[in-house]
Amino acid sequence: MCAIIDANVAHEVFGENAPEAGVRFFDWIDKGSGRLVAGGLLMRELERSAPGFREWAVQAIQSGKMRVANQGKIADKTAMLREAGACKSNDHHVIALAQVSGARLLYSNDQNLQDDFKDKNLIDNPRGAVYSTLVNKNFARSHRDLLRRRDLCASAS
Amino acid sequence: MNSVSLKNYRCFRDEQTANLAPLTLLVGNNSTGKTSFLAMMRALWDVFFEFRIPDFKEEPYDLGSYDEIAHHRGGRNGRADGFEAGFSDKFRRGSKMSEIAFDVRFGKSGAAPIPVRTRTESTDAWIEDNFAPGEPRKVRIGTGRGTWENAATPELDDPYIIGERFTLPRQSPVRFYLQRLSELEPIGDSPAPSREDVDEAKSLERPRLPLTIDSRPRRPFASAPVRSKPRRTYDPSRAIADPEGDYVPMYLASAYFGDKKTWTRLKDGLEKFGQDAGLFDEISVKALGRRESDPFQIVVRKYGGRLKGPLRNLADVGYGVSQALPLITELLRGRGGRDMFLLQQPEVHLHPSAQAALGSLFCRTAGNGRQLIVETHSDHLIDRVRMDVRDGVSSLKPSDVSILYFERDGLEVKIHSLGIDGEGNILNAPDDYRRFFMEETTRSLWRR
Repeated sequence: MCAIIDANVAHEVFGENAPEAGVRFFDWIDKGSGRLVAGGLLMRELERSAPGFREWAVQAIQSGKMRVANQGKIADKTAMLREAGACKSNDHHVIALAQVSGARLLYSNDQNLQDDFKDKNLIDNPRGAVYSTLVNKNFARSHRDLLRRRDLCASAS
Repeated sequence: MNSVSLKNYRCFRDEQTANLAPLTLLVGNNSTGKTSFLAMMRALWDVFFEFRIPDFKEEPYDLGSYDEIAHHRGGRNGRADGFEAGFSDKFRRGSKMSEIAFDVRFGKSGAAPIPVRTRTESTDAWIEDNFAPGEPRKVRIGTGRGTWENAATPELDDPYIIGERFTLPRQSPVRFYLQRLSELEPIGDSPAPSREDVDEAKSLERPRLPLTIDSRPRRPFASAPVRSKPRRTYDPSRAIADPEGDYVPMYLASAYFGDKKTWTRLKDGLEKFGQDAGLFDEISVKALGRRESDPFQIVVRKYGGRLKGPLRNLADVGYGVSQALPLITELLRGRGGRDMFLLQQPEVHLHPSAQAALGSLFCRTAGNGRQLIVETHSDHLIDRVRMDVRDGVSSLKPSDVSILYFERDGLEVKIHSLGIDGEGNILNAPDDYRRFFMEETTRSLWRR
């Protein structure tokens, strides 16, 4: 299953004092069946937000744990979304990444981005799901259920 | 070959099939069967193309006798009473491509494994040839209309004679029976074989072997993990192929002294690789006399900006040069070169930048009928392949690369067929793929 990590929670996943929900999300990718998708602007944001992410990403790409989406395709989709005024958030590049890569699970605490990700008009087949620590930073049942789902990946476009 | 399947062979118990591509990289921990896999590829080639009993002790592989080769199930379960392997491939027949699946069952004869049954199957027909020692030879042929078998042991030339390696063309059972269809007995309510059945069974015939300039079949090039030591001087002799590459200096000298066109092409290719890898900028052959029988040396030179360094003997430069030379030379041979390469750890003794250059060379030389199967522990080599394919540096497409991950599970090994996509991403990796590296990286980055 493929997931996207928003830069605003990167420190919760790639860091030393991460909350339990962040650690379990990391383990799900690092040791389990989760696969991370990144690319374009988000890749640079993650590198800035989380020290060590770049080094980890190199290894994760070699290990098939992380996929890099085509930068040109993301840029094209981002421009289309921005031009259409389709997003509530200013994270058009994250929605574009989901559309290009097929990733349907987003780890984010940005309410506007969460709304965009769940918007059927933006993310569909299957609908997007959101992993958040806004309410609970522990590894709650809702977190566990999300990581157990097998249907949160669409075919890449 | 498009795929290889194995069952009860060495550490491979359950039947499993591995996808092959023009460039296939074998990765995994030590002792997970990668070399055994290469040995079986050559064995299958020997049986299919040369009607030859494969020698599992022939260099560069030494798998031992039957008891070391048949899978041991552990405890009281004992050893398998036979092992199987096969491959599928596409061959050109006239203007059409034809797909064939070929399977061999190996049994035991004394201490050695020998083929006791082969089965060749195309989309239109199949033939099964049973020739276990001491039993009458049984051949069955089937098409869409029926199945037939030989009535008695035919006077077919026994194609499985140890030691007769290059006696092609040998008579295949398919051709034999195509000429004697009337001698076959229908099984069950099968009708008598017709002309249509003959035509369909023709799809089972082995393709004509590509022949080298000395009219011998192009057997796969199987390299040893450690190549021959460089010598200060070489005495002219015949270039006889061997897995360590002893013949390569002589081959280079033959080209240098006798075939300027070949030498120029080889020199260009070798120097391009040498420069990419940082090993040398120039390579040449130095005669130590005027007669053809006089000794010679292989010499290389490094440039330092505009300055040319001295020509140095192969024995006086880093070991990596002499270790890489046999592989590079063989890969750069044009007409008369091999179509299949079975390479064990070609990166040995090479600096990471040279390992990466090797990856680029593989991308440039694989494809167009040439297949490279490379056992490697080099991330630098694999990364370069991923990036070259992503960036379209060579004509190799993502579908032209296969990564086979050999994963140990108890006494058994599972082969995972991984791929890469147009962005150079690794596809279909199991969760445990490169776990060691992930754990080391995570530990080095964060205390958790």
